[in-house]
Amino acid sequence: MKKTNIVLLVVIAVAIGVIVTVAGDFSTYETFATAKEKEGKEYHIIGVLDKAKELTYDPVKDANYFSFYMKDKTGETRKVIFYGTKPTDFEKAEQLVLTGKIEGNEFHCNKILMKCPSKYKDDQVAMSTKQM
Amino acid sequence: METKYIGEHLLPGQLGHFFAVLSFIASLVATIAYYNAVRAKEAPLEASWKRLARWAFIIEVVSVFTVFGILYYILYNHYFEYKYIWRNSSRTLETKYLLSSFWADQEGSFLLWSMWHCVLGVILIFTSKKWEAPVMTVVSFAQLCLASMLLGIYILGYRVGSNPFLLLRQAEENIGLPWTTSPDYLSMIRDGNGLNPLLQNYWMVIHPPVTFLGFASMVVPFAFAFAGLWTRQYKEWIKPGLPWALFAAMILGIGVMMGAAWAYEALTFGGYWAWDPVENGSLVPWLTLIAGIHTLLAFKHTGQALKSTFFFFLISFVLILYATFLTRSGVLGDTSVHSFTDLGMSGQLLVYMAVFTIPGFTLLILRRKEIPDVKKEESTYSREFWLFVGALVLLIAAIQITFTTSIPVWNKLFGLNMAPPLEPEFHYNKIQIWVAIVVGLLTAIVQFLKYKDTPRKQVTQKLLWPTVAALIITVLIGWLGRINFDTYGAGFLVAIYIMLFASVYAVIGNTAYIFSGLKGNMKSAGASVAHIGFGLILLGALISSSKKQVISMDRMNMLGTGFFGKESKENPRENLMLPRNFPVQMGDYHVTYAGDSTAAGDPKTYYVVRYEKKDPASGAVLEKFTLYPDAFVNTKGEEGLTPNPSSKHYLTRDIFTYVTAVPIKDNGSDTAKYSQHEVQEGDSIFFSNGYMIFTGLQPQPENGNYKPAPGDLAVGAQLQVYTKNDEQYKLQPVYYIRDSTYQYSVPDTLFPQSLYVRFSKIMPKENKIALEVKEAGAFSDYIVLKALVFPYINVLWGGVLVMIVGFVMSIYRRLKRN
Repeated sequence: MKKTNIVLLVVIAVAIGVIVTVAGDFSTYETFATAKEKEGKEYHIIGVLDKAKELTYDPVKDANYFSFYMKDKTGETRKVIFYGTKPTDFEKAEQLVLTGKIEGNEFHCNKILMKCPSKYKDDQVAMSTKQM
Repeated sequence: METKYIGEHLLPGQLGHFFAVLSFIASLVATIAYYNAVRAKEAPLEASWKRLARWAFIIEVVSVFTVFGILYYILYNHYFEYKYIWRNSSRTLETKYLLSSFWADQEGSFLLWSMWHCVLGVILIFTSKKWEAPVMTVVSFAQLCLASMLLGIYILGYRVGSNPFLLLRQAEENIGLPWTTSPDYLSMIRDGNGLNPLLQNYWMVIHPPVTFLGFASMVVPFAFAFAGLWTRQYKEWIKPGLPWALFAAMILGIGVMMGAAWAYEALTFGGYWAWDPVENGSLVPWLTLIAGIHTLLAFKHTGQALKSTFFFFLISFVLILYATFLTRSGVLGDTSVHSFTDLGMSGQLLVYMAVFTIPGFTLLILRRKEIPDVKKEESTYSREFWLFVGALVLLIAAIQITFTTSIPVWNKLFGLNMAPPLEPEFHYNKIQIWVAIVVGLLTAIVQFLKYKDTPRKQVTQKLLWPTVAALIITVLIGWLGRINFDTYGAGFLVAIYIMLFASVYAVIGNTAYIFSGLKGNMKSAGASVAHIGFGLILLGALISSSKKQVISMDRMNMLGTGFFGKESKENPRENLMLPRNFPVQMGDYHVTYAGDSTAAGDPKTYYVVRYEKKDPASGAVLEKFTLYPDAFVNTKGEEGLTPNPSSKHYLTRDIFTYVTAVPIKDNGSDTAKYSQHEVQEGDSIFFSNGYMIFTGLQPQPENGNYKPAPGDLAVGAQLQVYTKNDEQYKLQPVYYIRDSTYQYSVPDTLFPQSLYVRFSKIMPKENKIALEVKEAGAFSDYIVLKALVFPYINVLWGGVLVMIVGFVMSIYRRLKRN
């Protein structure tokens, strides 16, 4: 067997190995209920802002504390705490994708991805990230 | 009945659409004619086909440029009856950003891409001689595909392309709306929607043209490889194709790095690279083309690796088309910040990808046996063997990035529900760091190997000193630079150290090679110089990312709200509130927010942020500078802000600052009212945070805001303020009568206490004065900002420049040799 063929085989093996490893990193979209089952683990949760409930962001008190209530796909509402500033146009977001974990009754999130009805007809996606 | 609309400018749109259709037809003719020129057996027939093809291509070039000109014309004149203009621009937009508007949307950017194809096509017609017909068949065909994106014509009920000259009233979403039947609807549309504030940046003016030149030039190496397969001239295409491949790699590389610079300068990614799908989309084809260039060199010198060269050249352009599909079809949905909007052209984009992929790879598979190959075994001490290994490592990098970026595609294809990784940066970094290590080491060593075989002794001899030097420098950087990035554990830190060595080694090895291998012959040093640049890019990326430091840590509130201990590591509290004129300690600096400012004709608000570095012992100011991070506040009725960062650049580091929140400034929010006090000399007035004593009147008042004029009767009230924190201040509000009739008062303010005092009246009878005191409930003027220090980021940018120089040197040399 030629050396290049051996290298090729090694590369294929590495590539498969890499894909299997990285696929382990992929997250899943959950609901509050399923995330609650595995408390303390991080998930993506999709939902909408519950506009009836209060939204707190007071930078004078704490510039890194923003809380609101989100209703997930099953209709369950939970308080969400985001350690960062309130993202631009937050109230107007049609849909939220949160990354974080359940702790007690609250959902602690470190990333908010918003889908905004933009000034155009199309979808515009805005993002607010807090580096971990 | 036909409605007569008032004030519309229909001629440019009709002309524009005509030329868009003409460019489609002309490129169809050019494709067919060039195809026949390749197939023609007799010389006269070939020549006549070629003549036709050239004319068709020239007509197509003229059409594309005309379309470009017309679209720019209606954009410049703000003809909002056109949807594209209405959607992407506004009257208030600065003229320099009109070009940004031009390519802000799908149609304009396809046009830009198509324009570059035209330019490259004309150059190819003049320079590629016998390769003109087959290569231009491919280029014309690519033009045909791009032209179809701008057609906007219904064929069999399916809309092909999207016409940039579509009228607003004819747009799908507006059909049937009442205003579309009103003849004077234009009088109601006074202004367009405006350009997304994120795109109002000079990078947006220059980055897309360069990136699309990169995209456009990628078709040329593909075309040469395809032409080689098609005409069965498997080896001959290499020579004319190589400079084009180098050119494409250089331009696409610049485009990618410009995107990184844009992200760094203008977007709030918090850095220059975020592994965003759009960034990945152009990086992956670059990686595979670099791999292809290296296997091509191996083939050129030894006859090995021709098949893999074909593979890399073909796949690179296919990946460009795949990136186009990802970013333009809307499939990325909520995983990317800056993908284009869905125009309902996913089908067409898939066809575009298929018509290049299928013929290319079918030919490669069918004719694989005909492709010349050397049956001899390579030596482990040969350059070609390791070039091949390096190319495959780059391929692995490409596969991993593509695999993760394509998550939304997998979801669609297999009906899955996968989400992107929780920590995307680490997800990519932990694999790519090993790729970078192997590539860095190979870059350092392989130059010292000769093609076919190298005497063992010579390798060790020549590598000894560079290796020792690189080791020493690595240890020094690691020791003095205190690289201890342990967020992801010790294992990752080890990887960082190995990569540190690999990148230093790449720089040193290639520098040494210029002297010991090439004997200082700079003419053929292009590759080495490019490799040095590449090593510096790796080094700069590594140091600036692993030593990146957030200095705007909010330490004050850490205790207050109870996020201490375990939580505090996870929630670094990176935003800091700065009340106006109140210095706050941040890292080594005292930072003061000194107010905001706006300028006429510029929609942005600039925030003045003063940095001061003081000697801790003496308190003397060591260093002082002001940054002006800016933001679009409340654009188009949107609440909130779109910030742009501002950085202080040093040779060795950058201080990067951007505003993350500002209070909503409207007059109604200042609810605090003045309370009236009538006081005699010696009386005190209490406020929430202390008290003040009225110590007497002063006939010649001293107040910065009072400008005396002759004939003024002016008096100042001297106030001594004592706060709870034992601070003392003096205030002096002024009361005066000008021209014997008008009464004025100049208030005085105490910013740290948000205290406002107004001197409203003198009551000579009671020997009293009236003072009005207002306390804002809280700091009413503040900003919340985030500040980061990026050390040695200039190594990265410097590396990019060095790499470009290396590419230019190589291209020049190859062209001279041809």
